Amino acid sequence: MSENEPTYNEAAQRLEAIVAALERGGMGLDETLKLYEEGAALLKICQQELMSAEGRLNELRLEDLEHEFQAQDAQASD
Amino acid sequence: MTGRGEVTTGPLAVGQFVSMIKRTLVQEPLFQRQTIKGEVSQWKQYPSGHTYFTLRDHDGQISAVIWKGRCTIHPSIKEGSVVVVTASLDVYVKRGNIQLNVERIEPANTLGAMEEARRQLVERLRLEGELDRPRKRPPFTPKHILIITGAGSAALADMHRLIENRWPGLRRTVIEVLVQGERATEEIVRGLALSRRLATPECAAQRGEPPVDLVIVGRGGGAPEDLWAFNLEPVVRAILASPIPVVSAVGHESDLLVSDLVADVRASTPSNAIERCVPVKAELEQWQDELNERLNHAMIRTFGDARRRLVNLHARLKVAPLAGINAGKRSMLTINSRLDRAVEATFARERTRIAGLEAALESIHPQRVLERGYAMTQTEQGDVVTNVNMLEVGQHYSLHFVDGTAQTTVTEIHTTEE
Repeated sequence: MSENEPTYNEAAQRLEAIVAALERGGMGLDETLKLYEEGAALLKICQQELMSAEGRLNELRLEDLEHEFQAQDAQASD
Repeated sequence: MTGRGEVTTGPLAVGQFVSMIKRTLVQEPLFQRQTIKGEVSQWKQYPSGHTYFTLRDHDGQISAVIWKGRCTIHPSIKEGSVVVVTASLDVYVKRGNIQLNVERIEPANTLGAMEEARRQLVERLRLEGELDRPRKRPPFTPKHILIITGAGSAALADMHRLIENRWPGLRRTVIEVLVQGERATEEIVRGLALSRRLATPECAAQRGEPPVDLVIVGRGGGAPEDLWAFNLEPVVRAILASPIPVVSAVGHESDLLVSDLVADVRASTPSNAIERCVPVKAELEQWQDELNERLNHAMIRTFGDARRRLVNLHARLKVAPLAGINAGKRSMLTINSRLDRAVEATFARERTRIAGLEAALESIHPQRVLERGYAMTQTEQGDVVTNVNMLEVGQHYSLHFVDGTAQTTVTEIHTTEE
């Protein structure tokens, strides 16, 4: 499913379209409900995307990171 | 400033005046870290380690000083050399002299050779089509930014500050490298090599972080030679080889480096790189809140409309039976009158028929028969005798005539022989 997961931008664009369609109105209740549910799901994806961007700040010396990777490679080849 | 310094009516002390000149000149950006070309004269290297000289050409000259250890001096530089310096204007207040504090000095011919190499590199890249290659689009919301720049540099501080303003706590990794000097090229290339690894899902999983999805490589402003690593082929090739979008963020707005020409995003400065690649989280949140509200509002409105329609229908339904009855009443009345009319017609028809029947009955009344000369015989019990077999000899019968009756006794019976 992760392959089909929309990017933030895709989700945002679809969400805008859904809200615009709902605001235009003129749809049946079933269709309205379906679009609303899709919109709510997209909104959740967007919110999660924002949250998932928060994390650590790593400041690494070039050599330190290189050593870390070298150690990993050595371990992997053992 | 002291209180006395704010008085502007009296004469200025000369030292104050020269200090004012110094303040004014030093604040002028045009006079700071400027790149200037000229000829070296009165070149003097003192035992203290400082070097004094005059930089001149046909039109002007200015004193210059290279403080001890401030920069490396190419051994070929001597009296009469044409050099390019990066220097800031300063005023020596005690003597009222203006002078250049030199931060970098290069023989001009070296710089010329560098420029030529750069021109050739750009030409090669153009022929290879690298300058027109399709650019990778940076993610709309980067989840892990890698910054390759000088440790503790002003540019890095600026980037951190801007990121925190726009997206507090945004995940980022900084790889500290030398960005100027002889080893800069090699370190930047090594940094970019590490970025390729940090962008792999395996490495990300091992480090417990999302893969790097954007690389910003750059440094703050400086003399052209300071930025030169970003004009060199190894750095340019490393940027081209990156599987993830690379932002080139070098120097000031006016600096155009070869790295800018090949990067996926060309930022005019390190700060500009952040402004272009890191959205303002609060704005996105506000946008989401608005959309959420609009979504709910549209939903509520649609269902509100539907509910109102239902209420309306319900109200109409409640009064509908009355309307039905009224209509029923109306049709009943119609039917009634139609029925009345039909009944009347039926009665009239019946009346006519009965009158006809009466007339017919009238015509076959026994009286009418008797009037024509016939008589009717009745037994003593009152039965009408209709055939001879009903008679018995010796019995009494009444004979009815039109105008009276007579009693008779049967003496003989004759059956009609067929």
